[in-house]
Amino acid sequence: MADADRDARVSERYRALGREEPPRALDEAILAAARRRRARWAVPVSIAAVVVLAVGVTLRVQLEQPQEAEKVALAPKVMEAPASAPPTAALESRAPAAPAPPTVARKREAPAEAAADRAEPAGRASASVAVGKISSAPQTPEQWLERIARLRDAGKAREADESFAEFRKRYPDYRIPEAMRARVAPR
Amino acid sequence: MLAYRQGDAGAFETLYNRHKGPLYRFVLRSIRERGLAEELYQEIWMRVIEARGRYSVQAKFTTWLYTIAHNRLTDHWRRRGLQLVELADHDPPAPAAYEPARRAEARESLARLALALAALPEAQREAFLLHEEAGMSVAEIAAATGAGEEAAKSRLRYALAKLREALADG
Repeated sequence: MADADRDARVSERYRALGREEPPRALDEAILAAARRRRARWAVPVSIAAVVVLAVGVTLRVQLEQPQEAEKVALAPKVMEAPASAPPTAALESRAPAAPAPPTVARKREAPAEAAADRAEPAGRASASVAVGKISSAPQTPEQWLERIARLRDAGKAREADESFAEFRKRYPDYRIPEAMRARVAPR
Repeated sequence: MLAYRQGDAGAFETLYNRHKGPLYRFVLRSIRERGLAEELYQEIWMRVIEARGRYSVQAKFTTWLYTIAHNRLTDHWRRRGLQLVELADHDPPAPAAYEPARRAEARESLARLALALAALPEAQREAFLLHEEAGMSVAEIAAATGAGEEAAKSRLRYALAKLREALADG
């Protein structure tokens, strides 16, 4: 008889020894342990997943905003009269009665705020595009405040304080919105 | 296994049900003391559960599982080996094959096969059991036991030769 046949016979006889299975209680103990481990891991894993997602979304938003800012900032310039439009649009945005411009202005400010750290050049670029020809000095109170806020964000407290004092002299009656006040007021 | 690693508890149950019988018999026939075998069997699965994060796609689950089993049994033999050295002054327990009652049973070919299997050197028995129970090739046996392919091949060959002999004796 060839080895292969005899090996097959060994195999067959070996199988005849019995096909014991683990006792049910042992199965249950092991499966329960696997479920316990999973439960212990499930919470941290889902927290980690949420954190990863949140960071991802934040990064994406920050990366996308500079482009968005440029688009929006250019929009009023294209649609309205180039010389007067940007300041008007920005001022109008403070008035709750005008429905369309607020959207534009909010969009223009939000990116500048959120992206102040990472997208400083883009933020400035969009601001200067919106301002038009006169780009060195802030032309609207909003833009001025935004610049002060950026100075603060950048840790330039002295410059921010000086600029804020200057702002107050120039616009003594301007009511600074609460959110902006927190960002620009001397600390 | 990857599904279980990613938190799918049902995936573990599927894996467990697929492998429990072969692994159980592998341990039982290696150890031959049912209580101890069950203890080791459970420990092996606990290690699988603990180590699931280290399982990688490259490894076939069967190979990975039996690598863990092999390591656990090796620990066991090592400990037992140390124990035998410590107890060297006492009479060593008679091997099962020489017990009179077992001798009588050995007239049956199945019992002879069981005895021959029990009498095999551990590495040869392990190779045979991995082949029979886990359906492993020589290469897989080598991977799971950390041996070279040549060594695994000759262990399996020796084991089969001895078992064939035991069956032919009848």
